[in-house]
Amino acid sequence: MTFGLGLIRGHLITLRRFVRTFLVGHGRTWTRRGGGHQKVDLWFGARTSGDEPIIAQDDRTEGLFTVEYPDERLPVFERSRVLPVLIYDADDGHIRCTSCHICAKVCPPQCIWITQARKSDGKPIALPSEFYVDMDVCMNCGLCAEYCPFDAIKMDQNFELSNYERHQSHVFTLQDLLVSSEYYERHHPDAYGSEDEVTERSKVAKKKAQRLAKASATPSEVEPRPV
Amino acid sequence: MSKPTITRPEWSTVIDPVLQKELEQHVLVTDWEKLLEMVDLVYNWGRRSSLWPLGFGLACCAIEMICTASSRFDIARFGAEVFRGSPRQADIMIVSGTVTKTMMPTIARLYDQMPEPKYVIAMGACASGGGPFKEGYNVVSGIDKFLPVDVYVPGCPPKPQALLHGIMALQKKIDGERISRSSWYRGDVERDIPIPALGPDLIDLRFVELTAERTAQGLVEAREETLKKPTKIPAPKADLPTEEGPAEPASRGPSKIDQLRARAAGQAASPEEPHPEAAPVAAKPRPIRKIKLAEARPTLVWLGNSALEDLAGRMNGEFGPATVTIVRAGLLIADPSKLPEVSRFLRDRNPTRFDYLVSLTSVHYEDAIELVYHLDSTAKPGQVIQLRVRTDEAEGVGAVPSVVAIWPGADFQEREVYDMMGVRFSGHPDLQRILMWEGYAGWPLRKDFLEPYYEGPTKVFDSRVDDGRHFRSEELSPFGSNMKIPRDFQGWANLSGDADPKGKHLTPAGVEISELATDQFVISMGPQHPSTHGVFRMNVRVDGETVVGLKPVMGYMHRNHEKIGERNTFLMNMPFTDRLDYFTSMGNNFGYALAIEQLMGDEARPPERAEYLRVIMAELTRIASHMWSIGFLLNDLGAFFTPALYAIEERELILDLFEWAAGSRMMCNYFRFGGVAFDLPGGWAEKASKIVNDRLDRKIDELDRLLSKNEIMLDRCKDIGVLSAEQAIALSTSGPVLRASGVNYDIRRAAPYSIYDRFDFAVVTGPNGDLYDRYYCRLQEMRESVKILKAALRDLPGGPILAGKKTYQQKVPAGEAYSRVENPKGELGYYVVSDGSSTAYRYHIRSPSFLNLTALETMCLGHTIADVVGLLGSLDIVLGEVDR
Repeated sequence: MTFGLGLIRGHLITLRRFVRTFLVGHGRTWTRRGGGHQKVDLWFGARTSGDEPIIAQDDRTEGLFTVEYPDERLPVFERSRVLPVLIYDADDGHIRCTSCHICAKVCPPQCIWITQARKSDGKPIALPSEFYVDMDVCMNCGLCAEYCPFDAIKMDQNFELSNYERHQSHVFTLQDLLVSSEYYERHHPDAYGSEDEVTERSKVAKKKAQRLAKASATPSEVEPRPV
Repeated sequence: MSKPTITRPEWSTVIDPVLQKELEQHVLVTDWEKLLEMVDLVYNWGRRSSLWPLGFGLACCAIEMICTASSRFDIARFGAEVFRGSPRQADIMIVSGTVTKTMMPTIARLYDQMPEPKYVIAMGACASGGGPFKEGYNVVSGIDKFLPVDVYVPGCPPKPQALLHGIMALQKKIDGERISRSSWYRGDVERDIPIPALGPDLIDLRFVELTAERTAQGLVEAREETLKKPTKIPAPKADLPTEEGPAEPASRGPSKIDQLRARAAGQAASPEEPHPEAAPVAAKPRPIRKIKLAEARPTLVWLGNSALEDLAGRMNGEFGPATVTIVRAGLLIADPSKLPEVSRFLRDRNPTRFDYLVSLTSVHYEDAIELVYHLDSTAKPGQVIQLRVRTDEAEGVGAVPSVVAIWPGADFQEREVYDMMGVRFSGHPDLQRILMWEGYAGWPLRKDFLEPYYEGPTKVFDSRVDDGRHFRSEELSPFGSNMKIPRDFQGWANLSGDADPKGKHLTPAGVEISELATDQFVISMGPQHPSTHGVFRMNVRVDGETVVGLKPVMGYMHRNHEKIGERNTFLMNMPFTDRLDYFTSMGNNFGYALAIEQLMGDEARPPERAEYLRVIMAELTRIASHMWSIGFLLNDLGAFFTPALYAIEERELILDLFEWAAGSRMMCNYFRFGGVAFDLPGGWAEKASKIVNDRLDRKIDELDRLLSKNEIMLDRCKDIGVLSAEQAIALSTSGPVLRASGVNYDIRRAAPYSIYDRFDFAVVTGPNGDLYDRYYCRLQEMRESVKILKAALRDLPGGPILAGKKTYQQKVPAGEAYSRVENPKGELGYYVVSDGSSTAYRYHIRSPSFLNLTALETMCLGHTIADVVGLLGSLDIVLGEVDR
């Protein structure tokens, strides 16, 4: 055994990594110190929240690999899923959920609870009056969003959810879950523009007028409209 | 100024108010409170910038926690990189993952040992409130049942950034603390919580009197009376009418069972039914309808019907007629006591020598508990046969001869069957509970065992959709927690948190060694130990530093996959499989999808594009998993973190691809029966091709150059823990562990599934079966995976990605299936029994990590404690899969 050669070679590799952090070889431009191959950003000042640079890392990333969250962000992929949200249409404020219970039926840990809204005469209408998601049980699997036939429940990408308390705040009610269709469109542009969802929306839009007319023929007990 | 100013006469100077203000601004004029506030500022800054977490991880979330500490997210920027192995030096406990009952006493002990001030972050849904496994019988519904939690980080699992967000939240909390009010400087800190006791269930000693009282009231039993219970189906009968039929063991059970059996027999005997199994008998809630039967085959690639009949004929010739009968493509051994001879025959005298016990499991039927053995031959792979042995269904009655002497790999699996079903194995050297602890009340996988949070035999639970009032599962239990104690339990006075029923009796006997003749002693290593790769424990008997005996103690992360899986619909199990071996969720999905597709037959044959996507994802998973495994093996060997950080970089890039395509870094939930869930997003294939073609080879080479010829590495790894080919086969190891011993057995080649037969790749085997070969096999396997990936990405066809219509209501024909995939850790198998309903009747996971552990003692004997750490690393276990 040629003692030591392997060790020295190993050290050269680590040294090379170190050097490449500062001198990245593609061209003459200096790249960002933190991994990505974007140009180096010398004026790294205070930024307002939401305006942080997005660092894309790919096959060309060499050297230092750190993305300095929260001052820098990794790209949030469109399909990235954390907790479910319910969508209401931004144009008229009506929620899309028809309380068909499919999400609750497909939910593996059974963390969705739905009550269908009823008119004062007791007839069910196609709206939820209560909708709960227990996020201490939710496994972020996205099956509810995948199988919802009305595009009403979707997975949100927001992961900054830490808090100091769970008993009051970790059971999301209908009001907590609602987001506008604009929000959804902003965060899921590809899905929103996809063929499936466009046809689905037009189908649902036709039926929606019908459904709402039916629902509001006599004033229902609960009118779940977001404020 | 309402407060009268008290001025001492000698100080009574009237100060100009303007000057007074000036003075207050520029000269320190303050009171004690304000002064302390300034100290607070510095004090809190100092504390929040040097949070030292306790280096302990429980489950999937722990991996994200490690990623948070790795270079991409770099927790060091928050002053929290110093993960301490000892609680004495730590001041923040990140409870990362599912808190199980078996682990809870240890966690409480660790918390008690941490000095004040100490903080707790509950990371992930499980630690916060039970999570998806909440309904399981061995899961604590949130760590806040026992410890005070400062910050909750929701998510399943939370991304590393989410954990950083949680740490920032904790820092904010620390910023608000006041030194004058901090409890730890006062004498009145009440901090020690009593260590909960593992009795018939996990018992919180703070409420032991109340618990005893409620137990005596029989509230649990009263509640269970009102619930709909799971129905049992009769065991499958022989296809061909034989004279006697499958012999059942002598009925020694209580009368109730006799009645049931009589009823079952009476109905099954009705002549107009060709398949007695087709009509569920004695199943009140199940409507009698024609249930489609799946094709009877033990697994995708097997011996075949005619060869099986031939084999059965030869065995009957050898051991007397009707020794074995063919039941649904499996060999039913009529008399369990003949099992050892039959096994010996199959192993030694049959022309195809069935030397490899693939899997051993059990099913609780109405009339019997059936043990199912899958056997294969390593010399002529792909000839799987299935043995069935039946024993009495009644609890604690009957025994089956152990086959440990024939296939030593049966050791842990028999213990598991005993633990889960209560089946005794006569002749087993060490028949003890393996996942639960000694003294736990109940045999969890028996159909008549109901968990404390049991709601109904199958999902969907009515409470979710009929009356959508939210409740927490705690409300279901009279104890307000996940606890169930038999009414007749008497030993309240003896409960103590210091008793350690888990692993107490697992003391390795020890072998004789000649070098030292000092006193031998037993070290309990784990379950909280930085190098046990999770909550794993070894009872090691050492002579000096030399290991003379070793018993793995596991179950600290047993979160009841199989029990929950028998209540889930088939689709619901898919995201649960992600959480088995949480490094390889795509591979886990693959195996499970194959099992259900085997039952569904041709209607669920994935389209071409889906097959390619599956292979691409599975191979990316293999690289990511092997990267991690190599990195952490080096950590175990003492090359602290440089190789691991290098390897994690590549894994991170692969995880990005997963998140992009499937939505989650670790819990991909990407496969569906007959295809995959989503098509690739635009640009994915290009980026993946770049990473595969331009980067991975280079990085694998770099890792190779960095490690493979390093003298320290060679010194630590060569000739350590040698496992001969015979031993590796006998101990039922699989994956790189088996192949490193020179056995050419890779499921992708031995029993090809999906489209692996189209790719050109070599099965990497090692020459010596030592630690080094296991490492090197993994490295080379990554190269082979890259080869497959290059071809798959090049040839990726277009077209649909799912066979049939997308539906959440899967119709799965009745029958049995065992699917096998070559996961990075080894052979992952899913044994599924379907009764034609929406849920699996039996859902068993043959976990490679669990079975590879069988070989640990053999490997470690004679080596030192430091080698044990490396050898465990070379087995590459993941506790989510070991304990399930």
